[in-house]
Amino acid sequence: MSKGATMNGKEMEDDDPIVSESESESEEDEDVKLNEPSKTAINNKAGLLDKHGDISWPENIDWIHKLSIDIEQEQEVDVNDDLTRELAFYTQALEGAREALLKFQSMGLPFLRPSDYYAEMVKSDTHMEKVKGRLLAEKKRTEEADERRKSRENKKLAKEIQVQKQRERAKQKKDEIESVKNWRKQRKQSGFAADDKDADFSLAFEEGKSFERSNKKRPGVGPGDRSGGKAKFGGGGGGKGKKGFDKKRERRDSKFGFGGRKGLKKQNTAETTNDFRAFNKNKFSSNKKQKV
Amino acid sequence: MAKKRKHSETAAAAVKPDDSAPERPKRTLLGFKNKDEAKKEKEKENENENENPNVFFRNKEKVLVTCSRRISYRYRHLMLNLVDLLPHCKKDNKVEAKGSKGTALNELVELKNCSSCLFFECRKGKDLYLWMSKCPNGPSVKFLVNAVHTMEELKLTGNHLKGSRPILTFSSNFDQKPHWKLLKEMITQIFGIPKDHRKSKPYHDHVFVFSIADDHIWFRNYQISCPHSGAQKLDRGDLEKMTLIEVGPRFCLNPIKVFGGSFGGPTLYENPFYVSPNQIRSLEKRKQAGKYAKKVKAKTRRKMHELENPLEVDEFADMWKE
Repeated sequence: MSKGATMNGKEMEDDDPIVSESESESEEDEDVKLNEPSKTAINNKAGLLDKHGDISWPENIDWIHKLSIDIEQEQEVDVNDDLTRELAFYTQALEGAREALLKFQSMGLPFLRPSDYYAEMVKSDTHMEKVKGRLLAEKKRTEEADERRKSRENKKLAKEIQVQKQRERAKQKKDEIESVKNWRKQRKQSGFAADDKDADFSLAFEEGKSFERSNKKRPGVGPGDRSGGKAKFGGGGGGKGKKGFDKKRERRDSKFGFGGRKGLKKQNTAETTNDFRAFNKNKFSSNKKQKV
Repeated sequence: MAKKRKHSETAAAAVKPDDSAPERPKRTLLGFKNKDEAKKEKEKENENENENPNVFFRNKEKVLVTCSRRISYRYRHLMLNLVDLLPHCKKDNKVEAKGSKGTALNELVELKNCSSCLFFECRKGKDLYLWMSKCPNGPSVKFLVNAVHTMEELKLTGNHLKGSRPILTFSSNFDQKPHWKLLKEMITQIFGIPKDHRKSKPYHDHVFVFSIADDHIWFRNYQISCPHSGAQKLDRGDLEKMTLIEVGPRFCLNPIKVFGGSFGGPTLYENPFYVSPNQIRSLEKRKQAGKYAKKVKAKTRRKMHELENPLEVDEFADMWKE
């Protein structure tokens, strides 16, 4: 054999022919070839052909016995390029299958298994279940990753949109103020400005004041009363309109409260503390007497 | 009494060689056939074959599949996968790899009534050699098996009927050289399932690929899947839509030698590019060895160099000392 031949390390192929397996087996699959064919190698062509003649089946047997198909290989396959190599094998198989299919059809023989033909398969059902599980898990994983990526992008986009919106709003506001100013200027220019009351007409927000709620106090309404002052006058007009209005009820409502917060309504105000209508001097004196 | 027995024994011994000497008459369905008759019939058959060979050809290939002891699990699985793929094979017990392997295996093949043999030989628990041989009178080939993937791997998602006859596809470069031609013939006979084999199924739903790339034979097994709806009629559209799914196993055969006989005999071909895995490993080791020696050598060399070329005395050395 080729023991005498010299080799240098450079001819070591970097990639092992395996497709996608772990590195652990890279060692065993390392493929080294001599650069030059060894001179001593035997190649007895006549003997080979002789043997071929010995074992080969008769030349003109039916194709159905052999089922072999030769496929032209377009170009040399680069073995270290996994993808192109596998693709070459795949195309070879596909072409072979198509050719075989046509042959079977012309012979009128069945080709593929009908869908209702059940028989033992090469791989067991449990194994196929595993394969399916793996595929599903992979699909799920990719989907999840996709979703995560999408949400991340969405977040980024939402931020941008928010900023844009704010900018737009500010611009709109500015435009509006500008337009009002313009309008006033035009009015002034057109003449009927000075004599009217409208000269004073100015909008507060022009000076930059934001809109404020008027601080006017509503008379007769407690500080916490949110019923709009209706509580004092018996605001329960809601569902009871049919019955007509009940004087007694109204009175009670105004006394004990109906609607709104109770607590603050019952608190004393300046008015109520100064109100001595219900005060009876005699009552106290008589009480003292009783006590003693 | 004793004398008598002795006598009978010797008689039996005398008879025995006579028994073994003539060849056993060939057995037929109707009884035994004399050798001469068998010969005549064979000749007749041959004549018949010459006249109209299509009628009489019947493929009776049987393959013995076995392996050596101490085979690793991956290679054993590969072998079992092949057993699953070839319904016309017989699996046998492990065989001791070394010693008079050739003759023992030949005997075994004959014993099992097989006409060819696939023998997986595992050495050192890591190198797999595959012997492919036609018995009883050759030829046989020894391959180094690389890049093994078994059918159990989950990445190979296809599936097909067990025992359906495969379509064998060969790349066209099998016809270029005589040894490839011989190998192609052997592969068609061993991997092709005989027509009407009793364990085979009447449909064809997978393809074997044998392709030569980089002077190796690559094996692939694909399932044919067509999106047709159960009907047997297939048309052009279906042909276009036909897809393949890989079933496995995968392996790559590197032919080492072709012998004239079965498991031995004169060498007919030798792969001129072949380097045995042992050599590769030893080379690797040799490359890694001698690391320490190299380091020591470098050190001494440096020392010598320093001694030979001493530094010039610096005249400004004690300038700032005062």
